[in-house]
Amino acid sequence: MTRQSRRKIGGFVALVLCTLAALLGLFWLVIILGDVLIHGIKALKPGLFINDPVPPGVAGGGLRHAFIGQLLITGFATLIGVPLGVLGGTFLAEYARGRKIALIISILSDIMVSVPSIVIGTFIYAVLVRPLGHFSGWAGAVALSVIMVPVVLRTTEDMLSLVPWTLREAAFALGAPYYKVITQVVYRGAATGILTGILLSIARVAGETAPLLFTAFNNSFFSTNMGQPVASLTVTIFQYAMGPYDNWHEQAWAASFVITIFILVLTMAGRLIIKWRYK
Amino acid sequence: MADNIEIEVKDLDFHYAGNVHALKKINLPIHKNMVTSLIGPSGCGKTTLLRCFNRMHDLYPGNIYKGDILFQGENILSNSSDLIALRSRIGMVFQKPTPFPMSIFDNIAYGLKLKGVSKKAALAEQVERALVHSVLWDEVKDKLNASAYELSGGQQQRLVIARALAVDPQVLLFDEPTSALDPISTAKIEELTAVLKKDVTIVIVTHNMQQAARISDWTGFMMLGELIEFDMTQKIFTAPSEKLTEDYVTGRFG
Repeated sequence: MTRQSRRKIGGFVALVLCTLAALLGLFWLVIILGDVLIHGIKALKPGLFINDPVPPGVAGGGLRHAFIGQLLITGFATLIGVPLGVLGGTFLAEYARGRKIALIISILSDIMVSVPSIVIGTFIYAVLVRPLGHFSGWAGAVALSVIMVPVVLRTTEDMLSLVPWTLREAAFALGAPYYKVITQVVYRGAATGILTGILLSIARVAGETAPLLFTAFNNSFFSTNMGQPVASLTVTIFQYAMGPYDNWHEQAWAASFVITIFILVLTMAGRLIIKWRYK
Repeated sequence: MADNIEIEVKDLDFHYAGNVHALKKINLPIHKNMVTSLIGPSGCGKTTLLRCFNRMHDLYPGNIYKGDILFQGENILSNSSDLIALRSRIGMVFQKPTPFPMSIFDNIAYGLKLKGVSKKAALAEQVERALVHSVLWDEVKDKLNASAYELSGGQQQRLVIARALAVDPQVLLFDEPTSALDPISTAKIEELTAVLKKDVTIVIVTHNMQQAARISDWTGFMMLGELIEFDMTQKIFTAPSEKLTEDYVTGRFG
């Protein structure tokens, strides 16, 4: 066999292996999404969003309490996590640029991105839930924001670093102080990138269950009191899917469908913004 | 100090961080309302010198200035000098156009807002004046709210000049402003410098010797961090005193 034909065969084998691996991954993805889609759409009713749960065995009822609870927890997590992440990323990319401290924080937050979320849940349990003596929506929001911060921080840092230095120099050359250079010029240049990072980080935490189990816990009733346990979609899905009632299973499917679509839309919005910005 | 001297450089030494001796004992005057060009081979220190005039080097840690730069009699290298005020009096235009990611109008208004102009009417009037001054008004007057990135490279560069002019500087520093532009845009900017020097003093760094000969009144030739010769442009290009200058302007090296 000549060297050339050996290379051709080698290339072909690599191609086949890669394609098979991709197909195998896609296969499970399609099965999972398809399953959620089929079961979810079937169970999707307007009542799901406007009614609170009813006792098992009674027909009807919905998950309004979990939808609202989820929105509250994710919303407050965003309010806490995004400013921290953006300001932290700004510190790394601007004020601490090139210094060792910036590198250390970057590496640490990369590690934090991959820390299992249940670890963060138990940590918040130890520092917020135990001392206060009860689960609360706030603890849930803080746990989710702790997951968001490193994601937002690293995206912000990367996006700010992509803004060319000449742009900053041009603003300095007009007599702008550094904070105005950052807020009025650099942020504008990096705005779409940072926004994408924020959307993706919301998508990341919206599907978290483990950290909420230890913090916001769950609530079978409608409650907007963040100082007390608050229901969330993910924990409710877990509870309902494990429960013995068909009615619960149906609602868990519907809720899974809604949360999957929500995350899908956020992720796609993030991607579209990137595309629109760099076209 | 003579009345017609805007900036006087005295025994200037400059070290980049890491002890790179980039400028050695530079002495030169920048004449008021004239165009002074700095020429020399790559790495000779001409851009470094230009960036001393608005203390751009201060953005990066570890750079050291020694000597004096007197701007209207005042030493701008002293520790007490107010860099923000200095940079609003000495504007700078870079090699690549640097429009901000905002509308054409907002680009020009940026410096004005920094200076405290906030009334809409005043902003509009001064933005128009700056754009007229940089001969861009007719091309952009119908699309002031369009993104500055929609302009061509040459238009962007004139926009940036308008932005620098809007804050009413006394000196404009040009760092190879035409090296990224096509010949027509280059010609427009060169014509512009002739108009602008009625109101501002211009210092321009250029790689293009013909450009220096065309537009400047005074020329400094630099090499390896030293100012080899400084004189009237005509003299530098026709009868330089130094052998090195002659070799450079006649294209024997560089």
